[in-house]
Amino acid sequence: SAELKCKMKFGIYLPPKAETAKCPVLYWLSGLTCTEQNFITKAGFHQAAAEHGLIVVAPDTSPRGCNIEGEDESWDFGTGAGFYVDATEDPWKTNYRMYSYIKDELPKLINANFPTDPERMSIFGHSMGGHGALILTLKNPGKYKSVSAFAPICNPIQCQWGKKALGGYLGSDVSKWEAYDATQLVKSYPDSHLDILIDQGKDDQFLSAGQLLPDNFIAACTERKIPVVFRLQQARGFCSHRIGYDHSYFFIATFINDHIKHHAKYLNA
Amino acid sequence: FYHMDLYGSKERFDIFPEELSGQGDRSRGDTRRESALNTEKFQHSQEAGYDLEKEVAELAKMYGIDEDREKELELLGGHLEMMESRWPPSRPGKAGSQGSVFNASKSSSPVKDQSQSTKQQGLPGEAPQDEDQSKARAEDEAESHIWSREGLSSGSMSDEWNSQAVSEEEEAADVFCSTCKTPIRAFDKLFGEHKDHEVAQLPSAVENEKEEIHKNMCKLEEQIAQMENFASHLEEIFITVEENFGRQEQNFEVHYNDAVQVLAQKYEEQLEALGEEKRQKLEALYGQLVSCGEHLDTCKELTDTTQELCLENDKADFMKVKSFNWQEFLKKEVDLELSTLPDFEERVIDFSEVEQLMNSINTIPAPCAPVISPQAPNAATGTSLRVCWGLFSDDTVEYYQLCYKPVSNERHADEQAEYTLKVKETYCTITNLLPNTQYEFWVSALNASGISPPSERAVYVTAPSPPIIQTKKIRSCENAALVCWESRDLNPVDSYMVELSKLTDEENGDNITESIVGIPNCEVLIHLQPTQSYHICVRALNLGGSSERSEPVLIHTTGTYFCLNEDTAHPLLAILDDGFTIACDELENPECDLPVYDNSFTRCIGILGSLIPFPGKHYWEVQVEEDTEYRIGVAFENTPRHGYLGANNSSWCMRHIITPSRHKYEFLHSGMTPDIRITVAPRRIGILLDYENCRLTFFNADIAQHLYTFNSHFQHYVHPCFALETPGILRIHTGTAVPPWTAL
Repeated sequence: SAELKCKMKFGIYLPPKAETAKCPVLYWLSGLTCTEQNFITKAGFHQAAAEHGLIVVAPDTSPRGCNIEGEDESWDFGTGAGFYVDATEDPWKTNYRMYSYIKDELPKLINANFPTDPERMSIFGHSMGGHGALILTLKNPGKYKSVSAFAPICNPIQCQWGKKALGGYLGSDVSKWEAYDATQLVKSYPDSHLDILIDQGKDDQFLSAGQLLPDNFIAACTERKIPVVFRLQQARGFCSHRIGYDHSYFFIATFINDHIKHHAKYLNA
Repeated sequence: FYHMDLYGSKERFDIFPEELSGQGDRSRGDTRRESALNTEKFQHSQEAGYDLEKEVAELAKMYGIDEDREKELELLGGHLEMMESRWPPSRPGKAGSQGSVFNASKSSSPVKDQSQSTKQQGLPGEAPQDEDQSKARAEDEAESHIWSREGLSSGSMSDEWNSQAVSEEEEAADVFCSTCKTPIRAFDKLFGEHKDHEVAQLPSAVENEKEEIHKNMCKLEEQIAQMENFASHLEEIFITVEENFGRQEQNFEVHYNDAVQVLAQKYEEQLEALGEEKRQKLEALYGQLVSCGEHLDTCKELTDTTQELCLENDKADFMKVKSFNWQEFLKKEVDLELSTLPDFEERVIDFSEVEQLMNSINTIPAPCAPVISPQAPNAATGTSLRVCWGLFSDDTVEYYQLCYKPVSNERHADEQAEYTLKVKETYCTITNLLPNTQYEFWVSALNASGISPPSERAVYVTAPSPPIIQTKKIRSCENAALVCWESRDLNPVDSYMVELSKLTDEENGDNITESIVGIPNCEVLIHLQPTQSYHICVRALNLGGSSERSEPVLIHTTGTYFCLNEDTAHPLLAILDDGFTIACDELENPECDLPVYDNSFTRCIGILGSLIPFPGKHYWEVQVEEDTEYRIGVAFENTPRHGYLGANNSSWCMRHIITPSRHKYEFLHSGMTPDIRITVAPRRIGILLDYENCRLTFFNADIAQHLYTFNSHFQHYVHPCFALETPGILRIHTGTAVPPWTAL
């Protein structure tokens, strides 16, 4: 990767339709600590993707093996925690340019080497990846046909993770952080042609820990009249104590089909 | 036979072989044989004709004298027709008689027969038209025959003839003298007696003659045809005469029998009366006799007593007896009159009745009862009936009397108005009747003698009135329509039929593309093609036939149409005029005292729609105000009316509530809802019911945003449901096609 100045891996799923025709591309951004493998192996999206004829690309969550000091120190900053920003601070700014990588370099690569329809792209992700999907969409109106997220970090400047990461990559000027905050970006989003689907596990510990802050995002969208359907998922069953969904891939796997359908509606329209 | 016979035969067939063929092949055969000789002999005759004027008288004499010649005439008669020798008709009288002899004679040879018979027929045919001509012909023929006979009668003459013939062979006849009606030589025309006569070329003369004969033949054929027709007609008349005879015979028999019976009866009566009279007389006389006898006895007794007394010697005793009052006794009148006469009354047998009977022999009897026909198909319309009957006897009828009245099951059936019509024909069309009603008809025949007994009563029924389709209650979807209607008649009809026509762009207008018959009730579910328009109408049927078509209704299969079921509306829910807007003004206590119907919601201020019970996809939209709190979705028909939509397992709905901070949305079923936030409050909600995929989906139709999907395998067909929880309005839009963005 030229952007990240290291070797990057990505996962890609090609549906049967790709053998004969060009297919739209759906980009999945994984969350903290994930690699390009997690989604491919755990999410169980293949059938839905095949059914709707979508190519799914799952890049890694950060540059790897850059030998930057402190990159492996914590699980929520550095390796596996790229936060989909273009870092401006040293020693990160050389390699940690996930934003540009996802926005430009990767699509170019994919389009050059696979039977893609370059006009049709959508993006979604989980947790940090959800945050990444949201900000990439909000910062590039019209680039993505649709966006959705699982338990995204909606308001990073307000939560611990965000503060840590954004501070580390972008410096202490909070105003610079706003450019990578979905909630903030929504407030100044130029139009309202968006249809955002967000699934959130009710028993997600990070939700209760205040790391995700969907309410803020929802409030902002409501204010801006950006259409969002936000589903707080909990299990329906006979048990008296409701078991909600958590932050794991099981949660993702349960609802991935709805998300694929959501994207297919726009990608195949 | 006669050698002259041969001679004659040669002369017979001269120059008209064609004609001869018309009269028989045998003639032709002969002609050919003879033709060679013909011309020769003809010249002969021509010459002879001219020279023989003087000899005609001689011939006539001979002919008149010689009755035996008649036979010869027979033999040769048939051929004369063919001979073209035409003699001046100088001896009409004799010729006429000869002609008639001719006609009477019969020929023996086949050829002669034919020609003879044709001649005979021809003549009568010609007679009216051209008597003179025919007579002339007859004369001519007769005379030519004479001539020929003359030639034949004596051998010597024939020899002379022959010698003459030989000498004059060279000059042939080549023109025809129309005046003398005989072929002549041109030379003769110029120099002979014919020089002032009209002539024509022989061939053309021949043609003319042929034409004439042909015409006569045609007339002959006509006559034959006429006679044949007449003959067959006569045969028919034979039969009719027999029939009439039979009928009349029967008639007489009946009448005479009646008369005889009456006579016999009268005789008996009179006889009895006579007997009675005799008895009475005898009784009276006997009575008289008895009383006479009594009196006599009394007198005798007195006499005896008196005599005895007179013999009494004792004078004193004699004077004592004064007991008997003699004066009084003698005074008593003795009735010596006969109480009754021996003569009997004059009795006359009253023949008047018999006379009457005899007189009525020729009067026409009153007719027999006609037979009324059962109702034919197509005899009825909604307001008229064509009634037919027949008379199965030969009675004379002047007119018929048709009576009818409506059939009623009610008690006062006898009070129904009865109508009577006078009809000349054996059929009648009655109008101004009520539809789908039975009428009883009976008919009598009338003539001068009186009226027949009435026929049996036949019941006819008018066709029904066309039904009325309930347009407001039509429900349809892309693939079917549910149509219901009302009957306009009081009484039930037998069945209904529905006619559909698909509207196409062509000018042909309504082509009935489908008919559905035998519908027992007032509704039908029809399968249709998507994205088409149809005209649908209904007819009612009964025994009388089918009604006129109802007013048609237009159905578009572009989407799903349903109407609201007013019966289910909560009392506080008002349906506005367009039928698709519901409103609630105030929220009094929902369980108030307003009148509640069995089928209406009592707590939830809601209403059900009536969706066509048909599989597939159904889509409709609801337009809401921002501040309206509502529940919209679907429910089973039997969802509890005391419950709230979504609170039970027979209903699924999207609920909108407004909290101070935000819009809250719930997707309720069995009282449970997922936790869903929607940032943009939908104003126009699209609802897609997909039976096939077991889904009920809600959309923000304005931005094509998917909101929520219930996944449920619906066990029964559902209806749309709508409820208001705050004062407000819901506008329902049906008939929209399923939008493409709903496809998932």
